[in-house]
Amino acid sequence: MRIELLEKIEGEAFLKFQKDKKIITDVKVIFPHYRGIEEILRGRNPWDALVINPRICGICGHAHLQATAMVLESIFQITITQKAQKIREITRFCEIIQNHIKWFYLVIFHELGILYDFTKVHHLIITINKLLALFSGQWPHSSYCVIGGVTCDPTSFEIYQAKTLIRQIKDQFIQLIGELHDPLNLTNDLQKLYHTLQEKELLLVGKSHDRFITFSQDSHVSNIKLLHGQKRKTKLTLIEENEQKRSYAKNVTYNGKYYETGPLARLMQQTDPFIRYFHRRFKDSITTRIIARIYEVSLLIEKIIDHLATIDLSQPSVVESKMQDGTAIISIEAARGSLIHQATIHQGKIETYNIITPTQWNLSNGTSQNPSVIQKAIIGTSDEKIANLIFRSFDICSVCTTH
Amino acid sequence: MKAKIIWLQGVTCNGNSHSFLNLPSLASLLQQFEFLYHPLFPSPLQLMDLHTADFDILVVEGGLKQGWKKGDKDLYELFFHLAQKAKKIVAVGSCAVFGGVFKEFDPTITGVLFDKTKKSKLYEHFFNKTVNIPGCPAHPEWIAFAIENDSFSLDEYHRPKEIFAFTVHSGCTRNEYFEWKVDAKSFGTKEGCLFYEQGCQAPFTHGSCNRILWNEINSKTRSGTPCFGCTEPTFPKTGLFHTKTYMGIPANMPLGVPKRAYLTITGIAKSFQIPRLTRKLIDEN
Ligand code: SF4
Ligand code: SF4
Repeated sequence: MRIELLEKIEGEAFLKFQKDKKIITDVKVIFPHYRGIEEILRGRNPWDALVINPRICGICGHAHLQATAMVLESIFQITITQKAQKIREITRFCEIIQNHIKWFYLVIFHELGILYDFTKVHHLIITINKLLALFSGQWPHSSYCVIGGVTCDPTSFEIYQAKTLIRQIKDQFIQLIGELHDPLNLTNDLQKLYHTLQEKELLLVGKSHDRFITFSQDSHVSNIKLLHGQKRKTKLTLIEENEQKRSYAKNVTYNGKYYETGPLARLMQQTDPFIRYFHRRFKDSITTRIIARIYEVSLLIEKIIDHLATIDLSQPSVVESKMQDGTAIISIEAARGSLIHQATIHQGKIETYNIITPTQWNLSNGTSQNPSVIQKAIIGTSDEKIANLIFRSFDICSVCTTH
Repeated sequence: MKAKIIWLQGVTCNGNSHSFLNLPSLASLLQQFEFLYHPLFPSPLQLMDLHTADFDILVVEGGLKQGWKKGDKDLYELFFHLAQKAKKIVAVGSCAVFGGVFKEFDPTITGVLFDKTKKSKLYEHFFNKTVNIPGCPAHPEWIAFAIENDSFSLDEYHRPKEIFAFTVHSGCTRNEYFEWKVDAKSFGTKEGCLFYEQGCQAPFTHGSCNRILWNEINSKTRSGTPCFGCTEPTFPKTGLFHTKTYMGIPANMPLGVPKRAYLTITGIAKSFQIPRLTRKLIDEN
């Protein structure tokens, strides 16, 4: 057995490899840290969770903020306006986009040794976060989503600024990644990625169960699982979460099975020919997984453009809410997949709060009869550098997992 | 020769690392400084190599805790070792400065020089080379300023006064409403001040959020969110969206303002009705 440190995954994890001669026969992921978010919340006023929960994660704190607002709205039986809904999606999609761009270059290009223009990439990231902050006040760690809606009250001037910014983002993105119309004709950095994977004979590595799951519903996704090519609606009540020895991350399964969540899962439920093309050729290998994540950016940019064109500013930003006791469970899409928040409010205070993060789905520790998504993807690999790349193709988030 | 930096993370959410990545002038900073280790962007060293590294500036993000694993080392020991070698220490974010949000779960977590308002055990060792940049997260321009500059006038919590002598209230677009005591009716409006009803702590919070804007465009209070006082040792308080009052008077006065002065001015301001400030800025119909 060999233990390796995996770092720069928004924190760290230890990987315990079992090997037979050179071939990896098993891997276990150990997250050594725990920061006690769920304990911090206990006994607090539910509103405080809107400030505490973004601090779960520096890169997807906005998804945690929105999940918090949603679970409380579900308990208090509040429906927010379409305007608030659209603004929330715009900012959440921005957070997902900046995440994907950071991961594509700082993680994947770096790992594969592909050169890139840091200044251009950095400029793109800044522009996306600026669009986000135009509504949310700041990124990271905004608390602009409150129970009942959003705190901002944009005029058509802010919408005009946002439209200008999203046009710039779209141009900069295409300049870097290339046009994404034809899978047979990749250009720019996406072509570089593809050629590198091809040269290094990595196109087919990292295949897992080819099973996908999403629990959220928004303008981009539905709550759907894909098993043997069959689509079924998913229910949050069928999720099982189990503690593990020696790791602070809990295992999660759906109906006893491990599923992949994330951009590839989101895009596989659509009939998008671009991703279907790669999936037909390479199944759920790192190639399809990486391309799905960067391709999703182009879809989300279009969603933002659409929302900005159709937002009705005359609606209120916030609807009134009244606290009541109860329990709810909700899901929202974060960059890395379905993020689940569950809360119980008793006598106006948080009694329990439970969070299941996307990385828990992808990086659970299964058994040899029932391997998890990551185990299935890695077992059989002989080269640790490749194992490392497969890990990173899931875009792991340690801080989220060890909230 | 570029000055060399190690960015060490303790008990953290990574928010400051990501905040720093928003620095517009990052490329020019990287021409003067080299990050031997940064948790996000490519850097030559691995965590395991840090204790033997030669470097100049230690940036710390996150709280310190004994028994917290950092690679093959203990975080506290690794920090102490690096801090002794560093020429300058920049504590970034309220966790590294005061202990921060995770201290609510584990009281043994501290900042570098401070444990909330108290001096920490490390204070005597490192006070003469540490600059504190609190905030949850710290603003990227503040971090860059602390890295690039060598002389600051520091306040009692070792925060540069150039940033922290101001209150967050200074520069808020709602200042007119504050002056005339026109409170926001609810969240989600352009109109009104958030001090009286929504819990805004900006009038007694040290920081430059409304002078040096976030992401070059906005701030919490400008976008209708109250300031939660995240640059102070008391962060996070409880009841964060609610202003505590005693008999209708806010429990916390604006910084340095005597209660009697505040009440007098409030009484006078409230005796006038300023139609422009009580109406919607843009008519609905
Ligand atoms: S909202 Fe806060 S920062 Fe703005 S004027 Fe009122 S008290 Fe000051
Ligand atoms: S406005 Fe207040 S809570 Fe927000 S970042 Fe600034 S000091 Fe912190």
